[in-house]
Amino acid sequence: MTPLLEVEDLVVEMRRHRVAFRAVDGVSFALERGGALAIVGESGCGKSLTLRAVMGLLPSGGRLSSGRVVVDGVALPVEARGRGRGHRQHRRMSIVFQDALSALSPVATVGNQIAEAPRHVLGLGRAESRERAIELLRLVGIPDPERRYHAYPHELSGGTRQRVMIAIALSSEPAILLCDEPTTALDVTIQTQILALLAELRRERGLSLVFVTHDLGVVSQVAENVAVMYTGRFVETGPTAEVLAAPRHPYTSGLLAAAPDVDRPEHEPVAIPGSLPDPLALPAGCRFHPRCRFATAECLTTDVRLQPVGPGRQSACLHSDVLAAAQAAVGHD
Amino acid sequence: MTEALIEVEGLSVTFRSEHGHALRAVDDVSLEIAEGEVVGLVGESGCGKTTLASCIAGRLAPSTGVVRFDGRELEVSRTVEDRRAIQMVFQDPYSSLNPRMTVRHVLSELLKVHRLVPRSGIEARCRELMALVGLPTRALDGLPSQFSGGQRQRIAIARALTVEPRVIIADEPVSALDVSVQATILKLFEDLRSRLGLTVVFISHNLAVVRHLSDRVAVMYLGRIVEQGDREAVFGDPRHPYTRALLAAAPRLHQVELVRAVVKGEPPSPIDIPTGCPFHPRCPRSEEICTRQRPVLDQAGACPRHLAACHFRDETASRAEP
Repeated sequence: MTPLLEVEDLVVEMRRHRVAFRAVDGVSFALERGGALAIVGESGCGKSLTLRAVMGLLPSGGRLSSGRVVVDGVALPVEARGRGRGHRQHRRMSIVFQDALSALSPVATVGNQIAEAPRHVLGLGRAESRERAIELLRLVGIPDPERRYHAYPHELSGGTRQRVMIAIALSSEPAILLCDEPTTALDVTIQTQILALLAELRRERGLSLVFVTHDLGVVSQVAENVAVMYTGRFVETGPTAEVLAAPRHPYTSGLLAAAPDVDRPEHEPVAIPGSLPDPLALPAGCRFHPRCRFATAECLTTDVRLQPVGPGRQSACLHSDVLAAAQAAVGHD
Repeated sequence: MTEALIEVEGLSVTFRSEHGHALRAVDDVSLEIAEGEVVGLVGESGCGKTTLASCIAGRLAPSTGVVRFDGRELEVSRTVEDRRAIQMVFQDPYSSLNPRMTVRHVLSELLKVHRLVPRSGIEARCRELMALVGLPTRALDGLPSQFSGGQRQRIAIARALTVEPRVIIADEPVSALDVSVQATILKLFEDLRSRLGLTVVFISHNLAVVRHLSDRVAVMYLGRIVEQGDREAVFGDPRHPYTRALLAAAPRLHQVELVRAVVKGEPPSPIDIPTGCPFHPRCPRSEEICTRQRPVLDQAGACPRHLAACHFRDETASRAEP
């Protein structure tokens, strides 16, 4: 069976000081029906751009210079500006952004915003669209949906706004939900509620998820598969539990070691040496080598791409076996 | 317990909303902070942690209550010395640094105004401050826009240290930073504390960060401290259901399954605080008494310094779970 979503060799060019650089550099992934993939990385790694390119919503200045997006076996027309939204297959996807307040219209009631797609995309009548909107508000866990239908975004809390965003995303009955840091601006107790809602939608509606986040702690709660991104490329992919328990790329293990652990206060967070490279002056060879303690002469010259390193796992590291051995030697930390 | 360096007693802050409603941002908070201690202040948005910090730093006048420093009551309009002694560091170093001033300009102006070193010693002191926060000397010639987020936070910390404070109040100082940069700033706080004996009030919504850095912790909800105590007492044996909920919801790397949302709903409006225990509408442990009687902050568990404001504070986590 073909995957629901296939992304092949996606390249997004951005410009800075009139110089073009590849902000997303050859990203490929496949999403099974009902599956979930988390894309994790630090600011500027290209994770949000990847999502926007898939959705056909690249910001101005961004250019989709190559790549294929295939939804349910149908390739979407690739348009250089990456802003093609006309194709019906695009409607199989919806996106949820981090900042719900700026993504929502301040001058329309949330009910009308949710009813828009049922009315104009699905072609339902006025009363039916309204019914559908109220149903969606209830589905995303907003109490008293008949009353909230008439609320404006500024009257709602951050958590409720994010629920409204999800309701809007669901209103066109998509098969795939693309989430761009949807819980980053929320408090932890509210974050837990939103993650639970997404899990429920997956379970009960068979929704597939691509979830972009900077927080490794959230990854294991939302997706069974993870891709770690660095300087526009995936550097490690695989089942979430395995990748987090025994990473096969030094960047992944660096991210894991840098985070304080709420259950282990004695764990000393260790920073990754150096800093993110300038995208206009990326290091030759492996892009992570200047920050890597496993780097050898070979890493300075070899442009490493993802290689299989086990069942369902890939790593873009020449020394992933050394890393695995080092972990086995010291025990997991 | 050692002599408290900072004593907050019965502090409340009430704001008036535009419709004339009274909003209690901080409600009768008392807190003692010993010299050299790192106190973590945790809670979700709008719980009053920043308002409380602003009162301690003298940036905001409390409606009632006092702040004592070194045994003296601090006036609402503070002396230059008192203001110097307690410095703040903010979440967003970019908006708190003047974009047109080089780092050297910022630091040397402070040194001159406060006459902290003779004019001839200013350059040397600037270099020393850079070294203290782990930046190269050449950073002195840079403008804020030329630095990354982590470097800017170091500059903001250097600026706070310029006036030789005894207390630093850091308001979400690592929340906007990537995890690998966050680790370096946490290390810097630890270094500063051990090298300069600084007292730190560390405000964060990130429990992992607070648990790592703090000696003592205070958990706030709707303007009140609902639990406080030594770090391990609070995190190892939490006695308030809200603290437990925060701990349960904290992101974890090796989560086996989805966390069950223990807490229902959202924090109520601070204009309309629930009767009884303010947490009762969301609390999984709530009983009839909670709806009418507000629990006092009192000793919970074995340690006399471990306080919780819950009618069921004598229950441990396992028994209290439904």
